[in-house]
Amino acid sequence: MTTQNIIEISGVEKRFGTFTAVRDLNLTLKEGEFFSLLGPSGCGKTTALRMIAGFQDHDAGTIRIGGQDMAHIPANKRPTNMVFQSYAIFPHLNVGDNVAFGLRKLKLGKAETEERVAEALEMVELGGLQSRKATELSGGQRQRVALARALVMRPKVLLLDEPLSALDKNLREAMQFEMRRLQQKLGITFVMVTHDQYEAMTMSDRIGVMFKGQLKQVDKPEVLYARPCSQEVAAFIGGMNFLDAAVTGEVNGKLHADVRGFGPLSIDVNPNVARRGPQLLAGIRPEQLEISAQKPDGYDGYLQGTVTNAAFYGENVHYHVTADGLPQPIAVSVPNYFHTVDHKQGDPVWLGVQNASVIDLGAREA
Amino acid sequence: MAGFLRTEAGKGLALSAPASLYVGLLVAAPLGILVAYSFWTQTYVEIDKTLTWANYLEAATDPLVRHLMLRSILIAGAVTMATVALAYPIAYFIAFRTQKKTLWLLLITIPFWSSYLLRVFSWKLILGFNGVMNSALISMGVITEPLTFLLYNEFAVVLTLAHAWAPFAILPIYVSLQKIDRSLLEAATDLGLTKLERFIRVTLPLTVPGIIAASLIIFIPTVGDYVTPSLVGGSQGKMVANLIQVQFGPANNWPLGATLSLVAMASVGFVAILFVILATAMGRRIR
Repeated sequence: MTTQNIIEISGVEKRFGTFTAVRDLNLTLKEGEFFSLLGPSGCGKTTALRMIAGFQDHDAGTIRIGGQDMAHIPANKRPTNMVFQSYAIFPHLNVGDNVAFGLRKLKLGKAETEERVAEALEMVELGGLQSRKATELSGGQRQRVALARALVMRPKVLLLDEPLSALDKNLREAMQFEMRRLQQKLGITFVMVTHDQYEAMTMSDRIGVMFKGQLKQVDKPEVLYARPCSQEVAAFIGGMNFLDAAVTGEVNGKLHADVRGFGPLSIDVNPNVARRGPQLLAGIRPEQLEISAQKPDGYDGYLQGTVTNAAFYGENVHYHVTADGLPQPIAVSVPNYFHTVDHKQGDPVWLGVQNASVIDLGAREA
Repeated sequence: MAGFLRTEAGKGLALSAPASLYVGLLVAAPLGILVAYSFWTQTYVEIDKTLTWANYLEAATDPLVRHLMLRSILIAGAVTMATVALAYPIAYFIAFRTQKKTLWLLLITIPFWSSYLLRVFSWKLILGFNGVMNSALISMGVITEPLTFLLYNEFAVVLTLAHAWAPFAILPIYVSLQKIDRSLLEAATDLGLTKLERFIRVTLPLTVPGIIAASLIIFIPTVGDYVTPSLVGGSQGKMVANLIQVQFGPANNWPLGATLSLVAMASVGFVAILFVILATAMGRRIR
């Protein structure tokens, strides 16, 4: 099966007065892909989504959907449909009429409209609820109606604006899997905007990380986590310890560097790194560190320190460890096997790290 | 006693007491008196307090009463329609197209800074034989003779009342427009609707409560309006309130006046309820 490009965005820019909300956006999405735009609030991700939907014009660049330039195509003529953050369920209509809203414009005939509505509601597990009033729906049901109302139009691309942010935690996790299942079954391209890194990682084929109007990195979730392109991307996705390092040499794609606190280590060159500088910034994920009362065997770098904080999180235990010469404590996360917190505040501990766990992040940003 | 006042029910009663007392004394009591009068009979200078349906019979059979009642309802209906039709675009503009909402709402209340009587009188000056309108049209050469259909007819009554009541229509419609979640409009666009289709299928049905409120606020008092028809209505523009005034004044037949008032009230109530039912049903039919 050949996968075609469904959305091609090149050099897109959006300004509001003197403020540039989105600058030089370049992005190509494949047919049937689940793509997430991830970033903090105000980073321009929602503006980008609204430009794809046609609710906002772009000031420069081109947006193509299914090969067609969208420059002069208004929102109501685009092959996209949207699930709004507030769900935007029409309060004066029942569930069936909400889902049929766009179909009625197509004048398909009563039987076909009803059939497609029933099918769409079945798909989101709301089968038979056609006559339920919009005002009598729970948050999760509203979300499903919004999904059905958009999917019933059979769009080429489904746009989702923070679709799960209004739901409570358990429902949100259930919906993440359900939306992923639905997307894979239908094979429609989903573009989701979210500020929740876990949501983005669990659902997406690829994630684009945005900061201050700029798309910084586009990658698969596991690559984004293992090889972030910069300090800000690394800090936004998962926990990360940042350590300054002095490069002493580079051999066969490996940087030999003296990492503060851990000593000389051999770090894989990260091909994603955006910016190099005289100093290297090394990153270590909290869960990649070994913590032990005695010096553990078989590690490439060690650090001797003192526990300043120990916190029980349920599925894991978090420690903060300080050592002389470190500007801030190192975070360590250990899976909870025996329901014990092994190290207390003030305990002397050893930390161990493998070469492969150290991430090359290029130059320090702040 | 002090304990009772601290309970929810006690607090509620205490808070509503001033208004209840006011309404009881100044609305319910006079209404009761009116009902009593309607069953009595005027005998030259005295009131015969024997209960009788005679006044109601007269009100039902007199063609003048029926004619004036019908005309009042038709004029009030026309005023309501004209006012709502004129108010909706203004309310729409304030709700959707301007940032200076407070300023606009303030500007709309400006006519209220002068008295109602004065405003009706101004229309008389504008529409009169030698009025502003005729003078302007003649000096511009549009007409050579003054227009006489401007004043002292139903048209003048409708125009004057529509102007007087406009703010009362704008405000409830504005509130119902303002309440509409903007993402609903985007959702309608997203689902393929043009702006006009979106207005008909989303904005309009969601503002039905505002339209109903505006219509009732205008229709109910307009049916019984007395000042405007007597000042600008001429003989063709007379309404039922003018007849009622005659009964309580020159004709000195209070029982018949009371009966006509109650008949007018009942007719207005009936038409209003019918309108609410019809408007709500029509709003529901839009899908």
